[in-house]
Amino acid sequence: MRYATKTMLLSGTALIAAGFLATAALAQEATIAFSSGELGATSYNPVTSSNLNSATGLIYDRLVEQDADQSYHPHLATSWEEADDGLSWTFKLKDGVTFHDGTPFNAQTVADWIPDFTGTENEYLVAAIASVEVVDDLTVKFVMSRPEPNLLYNLSSAFMGIPGQAAYDAMGDDYGVTGAVGTGPFKFDSFAIGLETVLVRNDDYAWASDLSENQGAAHLERVTFREVPDQSTAFLELKTGGIDVLLGVPTDFLEILKAESNIATIQMPGTGINYMPINVTSAPFDDIKVREAVGLAIDQDAIVASIYNGVGAAAHNFLISSLPESQVDPALEVSYDPERAKALLDEAGWVMGDGAVRMKDGVPLSVKLFTQNGTEFTALTQVVQAQIAAIGMQADITVFDSSTIRDEYKENRHQLAVRGYDWNNADILDWFFSGERLGYPNISMWNDPEGQRLNLVAMTESKNSAEREANFKAYHEYILSQHLFVPLYQPTTNIAYNKDRVTVPDPIRGTRFRSQTVLDMTVVE
Amino acid sequence: MTSMTGTAARMLAGFGTTSLGRAFGTWLGRIAGGFLILLLLTAIFAPWIAPFDYAAQDLLNGNAPPGWPHLLGTDQFGRDVLSRVIYGARTSLSVSATAIAMSVGVGMTLGAAAGYFGGFFERAVMTVVDLTWSFPDILIALIFVAIIGPGLTSTMFAIAIAYLAQFTRLTRAQIVRLKRETFIEATINLGARPRHILLKHLLPNAVAPVIVVGMLAIGDGIVLEATLGFFGLGAQPPTPSWGAMMSSGTAQLFLSPWVIIFPGVAVAVTVVAVNLFGDELIRALDIRDRIRGA
Amino acid sequence: MLLRYIFFRTLMLIPVSISISVVIFMIVHLLPGDPIDNLIRVGSSPDDRAALVAKYGLDQPLLVQYFRWIGAMFHGDFGEAIVLRRPVADLIGQNLPYSLQLGALAFAFSSIVGIVLGTISATTRSAVVEQFVRGFILLGSTVPGFWLALLMILFFAVQLQWFPVSGAKGWESLVLPVLTIGFGGVALVARVTRVALMDVRREDFVTLLHAKGLPSRTILTRHLLPHAMLPVVTILALRIGWILGGAVTVEFVFGRPGLGSLLIRALGQRDYPVVQGCLLMLALAVMLGTLIGDVAQAAMDPRIREART
Repeated sequence: MRYATKTMLLSGTALIAAGFLATAALAQEATIAFSSGELGATSYNPVTSSNLNSATGLIYDRLVEQDADQSYHPHLATSWEEADDGLSWTFKLKDGVTFHDGTPFNAQTVADWIPDFTGTENEYLVAAIASVEVVDDLTVKFVMSRPEPNLLYNLSSAFMGIPGQAAYDAMGDDYGVTGAVGTGPFKFDSFAIGLETVLVRNDDYAWASDLSENQGAAHLERVTFREVPDQSTAFLELKTGGIDVLLGVPTDFLEILKAESNIATIQMPGTGINYMPINVTSAPFDDIKVREAVGLAIDQDAIVASIYNGVGAAAHNFLISSLPESQVDPALEVSYDPERAKALLDEAGWVMGDGAVRMKDGVPLSVKLFTQNGTEFTALTQVVQAQIAAIGMQADITVFDSSTIRDEYKENRHQLAVRGYDWNNADILDWFFSGERLGYPNISMWNDPEGQRLNLVAMTESKNSAEREANFKAYHEYILSQHLFVPLYQPTTNIAYNKDRVTVPDPIRGTRFRSQTVLDMTVVE
Repeated sequence: MTSMTGTAARMLAGFGTTSLGRAFGTWLGRIAGGFLILLLLTAIFAPWIAPFDYAAQDLLNGNAPPGWPHLLGTDQFGRDVLSRVIYGARTSLSVSATAIAMSVGVGMTLGAAAGYFGGFFERAVMTVVDLTWSFPDILIALIFVAIIGPGLTSTMFAIAIAYLAQFTRLTRAQIVRLKRETFIEATINLGARPRHILLKHLLPNAVAPVIVVGMLAIGDGIVLEATLGFFGLGAQPPTPSWGAMMSSGTAQLFLSPWVIIFPGVAVAVTVVAVNLFGDELIRALDIRDRIRGA
Repeated sequence: MLLRYIFFRTLMLIPVSISISVVIFMIVHLLPGDPIDNLIRVGSSPDDRAALVAKYGLDQPLLVQYFRWIGAMFHGDFGEAIVLRRPVADLIGQNLPYSLQLGALAFAFSSIVGIVLGTISATTRSAVVEQFVRGFILLGSTVPGFWLALLMILFFAVQLQWFPVSGAKGWESLVLPVLTIGFGGVALVARVTRVALMDVRREDFVTLLHAKGLPSRTILTRHLLPHAMLPVVTILALRIGWILGGAVTVEFVFGRPGLGSLLIRALGQRDYPVVQGCLLMLALAVMLGTLIGDVAQAAMDPRIREART
């Protein structure tokens, strides 16, 4: 027994020594931790997967890239043209591009790739494409079954990173798990699901988009992406050198990071909104005056200042401000006005009694306020609770896991909820307010003939992007006029890195952290 | 029904106030017991003791370090940590105690029936009960809360189920042991009915060890409640519980460690006190052997 | 006789396993929500959703779904994860080694340190040592695991930077998780060892050995400890489920993969086949542990064999 104790002590010392060695810097390598929203990806197959992470964007290139201002930039497509009637698109492709396995990228690749989507959950991305014609080796034409002004947006999504067709066909179900082949600046090296992904540099890379300064191969030789499930833990990893870059730092952590001398942060414009849907079928919210009053009770600026330390922006409508469809009539936007809120509640018959809660016909103004677990939303929800208490509405919070809360929505047991979405396109309005999706995602339970008409026009009758913009704006304005939700906050996407280890370009181009940024990253010598 | 309450009263009488007094006999028992009484009073009189409203937010004064007027500092929302720890005692103690009481009630019934009737019934009950005992309490609780939704009620049920096995086993062991003892044999020979034997003779004799173990389990219940709270599944905000206060995560340890340290200390000290006092009680009642028999 | 006992005990596992599979299936399908919402994204239509529900057979009656699952199970097919999109057997295969590694080390740590501490506290004549060990046991069984883990991260990983904060890379990442789980285990084993030793010491044969003039040390290592090991082995075997699944909290805090984290993730996403597979695995491990515990007891005590067969 004494012997056993001694060996344990000895191996303990060895472990401590190993711990010291592991923290020593290694050349031209970076370790990146995913944000909490992109954990749990089980495949790097962009065609069939429903959950892709940031590493996918390093393995594959896309035809088109989207910048933070929502403009589109050429990548593997050098130029494109949309027919006047919107029924065909022609793309010119970049010359000299090869896949990691040496096969060339050309028009035939695109023609073979689009049909891969048939029967997958991502099929809707290419649903409007009737057929693909190879015009010449570097020209490809999409024949459309209907105009799709949103095509460039779809093409720039991570799901439309282009895989090498030979490998894709050869590997079958293992594609994306044991291997993946793209044209991107990094090659797939190893993937341990739920743990880490290792990518190595593609030395031949010479076809970067104009979103990155470096047009050649990446400076980093090797990138390790780690899954750290808890954001607090990820923060500690960053602080202690376990990771070099942390994607998606919750905004309420930024203040903590400021105190760390070796850590720098970059804020990218966010791609979503935090908001509070209101169930219009549930009393007292079947009364539009009560709905409007709740909106007026929320002090968005105070939320930005207190919880988020001034980072990010107040949200006053449903869309992120870089989208043109968000530029609605200012009179329809939702802003703080507690006096009007109280007046509206008085009008609706909810009057202040002896206590702090309003009453109507002997019933107190008490409502349910749901949210999802995760510190981000629970903090926001508690502030919302306090703010609506100030106009005499008492809210009881319940925190659910994401599956249960969707069930509550579908069973119509909810009233108010604090949540967020991440989507930089106006068609999110259809997703959350279409009468065909009552319960979830239409948490507001709103089904209105005029709304459905405007939805249909915006979704299917737009011939080009200008028309689409006008139609979605009209739909958005009508939704705002019905007080179906309260906009709360426009988060930023925050990236933190250890500046003693790496440099990261600031500002970050593009809508998400992808190859354009990693190409410009360097290791601090 | 009246016979049931009568039996319950006799059980408690059998448990005896004198043994409680004896547990206070040692200095360890006095310290632990004194602390628990103080804690109980704090929980009961929380509204009068707490210096602030536990839910009052003061966003501009968030994460303030311990000092004046916030003796233990404030949390992210500027709420007074001391007041929340005081109210948290209420939540944590009542949830755990109620849950264990339910568990003891059901466990004793099941265990007594299994021990008394034996045979297939006993085997079936014990197989099920052993199985729940073999699964980690946190897993049972997590799954249970996932099914019936988060909140204090489901936390209570989850804790009750997690500890059910312990009380069932213990009661059964007591009954089986007592059944072999001569005075019961004598009673049976005298022609007493089974129900009478079980209620009048077996249960009252089995009750003391179960209640003591139940008291010890209140400590474990507090830990389980804290763990569920840590996962965000216990008390719903803004209701404070010691576990829920610690759920803000590791990063909070740096920004404002007091938000996490104080509720943790409260849990640790309380559970240690419960265990020490329980040990003294076992010693005073001289039932150590009977508890181990399970 | 012993072989017969083992045979009947093993045979008993079949009806028990079947009832457990029913219970697990029921529990999983009682959970509110379904996995499909984790598959659909902005842009897909309500019809797409219905198609997915049909694709995974979730529109079938529960009885049909159960028999489909259990039927495949008989062919050794755990099914395919709905959200995670991998064969469940693969997912378990990937995560189990992490659980086993952590479990085995924590098991070894708590057995060795626990038995040593238990022996010391049962045999020492020094009140200080006894109080110290008693205090250690008390703390070990009362401090919440996640709280201990947080404090250890704060001290050893952040302040001293001896060990990584999280992850499962290399041996150094195992130290803090093993200590966290082990601490509670040490307390349990120490307590059981102490009690068992004190019981054995009271038995007649020990008095006889003392009377024969054997040195106390020899009595302890040759006679007392082997006898005292039975309850220790039993309690450890019975707790095999705790070792595999109970690391959830520790896995969560240290960001480690493992059976517990796989189960929790799948539970959150309602990935039915994964939850069912994990729970069944755990249940089988638990039953195997109980079997080992029972057989160990029976092997050492013939009375149990007779009583239970």
